[in-house]
Amino acid sequence: MIKITDLQKYYRTEEVETIALNKLSIEVKEGEFVAIMGPSGCGKSTLLNILGLLDDPDGGSYLFNSIEVADFNERKRADLRKHNIGFVFQSFNLIDELTVFENVELPLIYTGVPASERVGRVEKVLDKMQIMHRRNHYPQQLSGGQQQRVAVARAVVNNPKLILADEPTGNLDSSNGNEVMELLTDLNEQGTTIIMVTHSEHDARYSHRIIRLLDGQTVMENIMI
Amino acid sequence: MIKNYFKIAFRNISRNLGFTFLNIFGLTLGVAACLSIFLIVRNELGYDGFNSKADRTYRVTLNAIDFNANVSMGIIPTMRTYFPQLEHATQVFYQKDVTLKIGTNHFSEKNYVFGDSELDKVFDYQWLAGDHNTALSSPNSLVLTESLANKYFPHGNAMGQVIELDNKIAKVTGIIKDPPTNTSLPVGVILSVSTFQKQVEGMSKHFWAIPGGSYAYIVLPKNYSIHTLEKLIPGYIKNVWGKDVDATVKMPLQPLRDIHFDQRYINNIITPTSKDTYYALIGVALLIIITACINFINLATARAIKRAKEVGVRKVLGASRPQLIGQFMGEITLMVLVSVLLGVGLCALFLSQANAWMSVDISPDQILQPQVLSWIAAIAVVVILCAGLYPAFVQSAFQPVDSFKNNSGTSTKGLTLRKGLVVMQFTISQVLIVGTLIVASQMDFFRNQDLGFNKDAVITVNMPIKEKREVFQQQLALMPGVKEFSVSSGAPSYNDSFSPFSAPALGFPKTNVTEIKFIDEKYTDMFQLTMLAGEKITRKADNDTLHKVVVNETLMHDLAIHDPQKMVNQRINVSGDMATVIGVVKDFQSESKHKKRRACVLEYVPGMFFNVSIRLQSKNMPATIAAIGKDWSTLFPDDVFKYEFIDEHIAKMYQQEQKVYAAFQLFSGIAILIGCLGLYGLIAFAASQRTKEVGIRKVLGAPLRSIIGLFTREFAFLIGIAFLIAAPLGYYIMHKWLENFAYHIHIGPAIFVVAIASSMVIAALTTAHQTLKAALANPVKSLRSE
Repeated sequence: MIKITDLQKYYRTEEVETIALNKLSIEVKEGEFVAIMGPSGCGKSTLLNILGLLDDPDGGSYLFNSIEVADFNERKRADLRKHNIGFVFQSFNLIDELTVFENVELPLIYTGVPASERVGRVEKVLDKMQIMHRRNHYPQQLSGGQQQRVAVARAVVNNPKLILADEPTGNLDSSNGNEVMELLTDLNEQGTTIIMVTHSEHDARYSHRIIRLLDGQTVMENIMI
Repeated sequence: MIKNYFKIAFRNISRNLGFTFLNIFGLTLGVAACLSIFLIVRNELGYDGFNSKADRTYRVTLNAIDFNANVSMGIIPTMRTYFPQLEHATQVFYQKDVTLKIGTNHFSEKNYVFGDSELDKVFDYQWLAGDHNTALSSPNSLVLTESLANKYFPHGNAMGQVIELDNKIAKVTGIIKDPPTNTSLPVGVILSVSTFQKQVEGMSKHFWAIPGGSYAYIVLPKNYSIHTLEKLIPGYIKNVWGKDVDATVKMPLQPLRDIHFDQRYINNIITPTSKDTYYALIGVALLIIITACINFINLATARAIKRAKEVGVRKVLGASRPQLIGQFMGEITLMVLVSVLLGVGLCALFLSQANAWMSVDISPDQILQPQVLSWIAAIAVVVILCAGLYPAFVQSAFQPVDSFKNNSGTSTKGLTLRKGLVVMQFTISQVLIVGTLIVASQMDFFRNQDLGFNKDAVITVNMPIKEKREVFQQQLALMPGVKEFSVSSGAPSYNDSFSPFSAPALGFPKTNVTEIKFIDEKYTDMFQLTMLAGEKITRKADNDTLHKVVVNETLMHDLAIHDPQKMVNQRINVSGDMATVIGVVKDFQSESKHKKRRACVLEYVPGMFFNVSIRLQSKNMPATIAAIGKDWSTLFPDDVFKYEFIDEHIAKMYQQEQKVYAAFQLFSGIAILIGCLGLYGLIAFAASQRTKEVGIRKVLGAPLRSIIGLFTREFAFLIGIAFLIAAPLGYYIMHKWLENFAYHIHIGPAIFVVAIASSMVIAALTTAHQTLKAALANPVKSLRSE
């Protein structure tokens, strides 16, 4: 599903050039659950941003479903993203001005799903995430675990092929963290490919494969049994 | 999608009430101010526009020495014959006021006009009763406006009623709807001109018999060029009036719609005003809207950093940039629409106040006229585009990756832009402050400085019946509240009489024009006129036929004499008679300071003493005036007692400037207030952004004044930059304005010192609350909140 080859990314200031990804090559197959680990500054989040088409690589190739997307413009990237990729962030990134229902509904609006269809789909996913009873609440009225469940609901409502999760349990206690990991596992079992950046060995154990990065390069890959 | 935009917009607005209030209140004020200005300017630039033939209508005027709006009563009758191609022509005789007697009641009314049936053909009056073709045909016919008809005959039975006026009995033969007030020929009571047929006939035979208040109007046929007629005018003068009129005399045809703005003319019914005044007001309106838009842009781009995360999330979820621009424009649109509605309401609410302040008469109903509504819509669209597009583009440009890292990538650029816009706002404020101060100084100069006579506590009254004037003076002499009085043809600030003069013996045989005042022996002392040489005017024996005159400095200079002593005993020709100059008086201001002082001759001619100037004791002035009025009613029972304080009369000369001053005060205040709202919002935002920095500085030992300095230094710097732009700009604009006056103040440095100091004070007061709040915040809390 995903194949990156010799991917490069630099961050430049006037005086310093930092290499975030140094000719990184990775392949993720459809239905996989991959964890990416490594110390701070090793390039995990940069990699996730490029995989999510939120950022441009400075070199190398990125094939998504066998299509070269590294040189896609903003419009094409947005189009591919909204139909294929869901995101879960450490800090939830829910929109404070929208209710739970409206936050989850938002990706459907941007993909042009008719209003009548949206209600059913949102309710279904909220039900699945066991957050239906909070549909009319605003994010700040929810606990961290509930907010992340909403974020996961929002990530999956469009039935994406790929979910990118950036430290999804980083802001949660262990109980809520486990719940979120169970949700991701369930989604993966239903066929969704998941790539998750994490610092937590515990969370990484939910994945099929762990890719360890250091200074923008792969240093080790562990297959989980 | 649109519904979603508005839902988000509404929630954003309601969740950020402070920000919303600053924006909406500022723009509401801006819209209200701009709409008021639009209505005022529309009213003023639309003078006489209610007449359907306005663009083909001209006032026939005279240009001999001055541009004179008055012409002989013989002009129209002869033009009708000489120019049969004219579609309409009417001669109007306008009197400022008249006393009407209805039963036992007396009414003093303004705008008394003699007209013929052609008057209605030139001006579009709407007839409510009577036949417009014949209502003014017969002698002793009277047409009233609706308001006057209802005032005198509240039961609606005005038609056919008899009214006594000007010692004549007239019958009401027509009622017209009150014409719009923005007319150069205001009418209230119209008496048929044929009522005075004999007097008119006599005057009509002479080109130079020009009664004050005599105006001539013509209407050209459609597609007939005014230039064609103008070329024929010299022939008309030569053929009709030839032997009476010098070849240099011209008769300009003044477009009806220019009358309100043509300041060259004397004897206008209404004081003309410069179009520049209204263009300046439009400029102020633009500045106000720009200030309000700057608030929007500044506050929106400042808040953009806070909203970067939302933009990032939306982009991650698939929002395209046009969709995000649409969303932000939706928010702006909602705020602008609310502001426009509130602004229109505010304008309607305070229009009567603005009317009084600006001496205009605009009905709130005008707001609902299609032209005004489309203008309001245009304002809304312009504000939405100006204030909304830039922030929308900035906010929608945030990259998700940057926004999640709290690095919008445009903060530095945004900050520079905000600083630039704040400088622009301060520049606008300071230019307006400089303008207001200069207009205020000029107004003060008009009223109080260098008049050349003492105007304090003096009222003037015209005495109607010659035979009883002496008795009235005797009664005044006995009245305890009267300090002194003098009879004359007019007080120093009134100039109604002009006369030709020449001085062949001094080498000036060519006729020039001088103002002429007939004054008694008390006039010079009462008004404290300064004699430069010779004697003042004294009482003259009835059998003394020698002309002895006092002249002013200007007349002396006109004759190339610079030593007043040398002017004494010179012989000059005034009104065709030789007169001996017995003294020279220092120039005094008899006209407005728009014009250069004129030559003036003072002479003792008791027959012309129809006016009395009375200086009142400062105690109990109202009681004294009431007592004078009581004596008046006994002596002149058929005339209403009308008096005027000289300083009020002088103030009227500067009515237009007073309007400008009122406008500057009001609208500058609004512009500055809107700017302050924006500044308050910005400093509040800056304070919240720098909470952590302030906390760290305090932990490290920064004193209170250092923290306050952190915020104020930057704004002081911006005010300084704005001043560098505003000072020369304000000087240039106001210097141009002052050039409209023959006598004006000089712009000194004090005005600029006051402008920058007041800007600093305004900015300090605006930011004080937020600055102190930030400086006094507990650092522990500040750091924890970060």
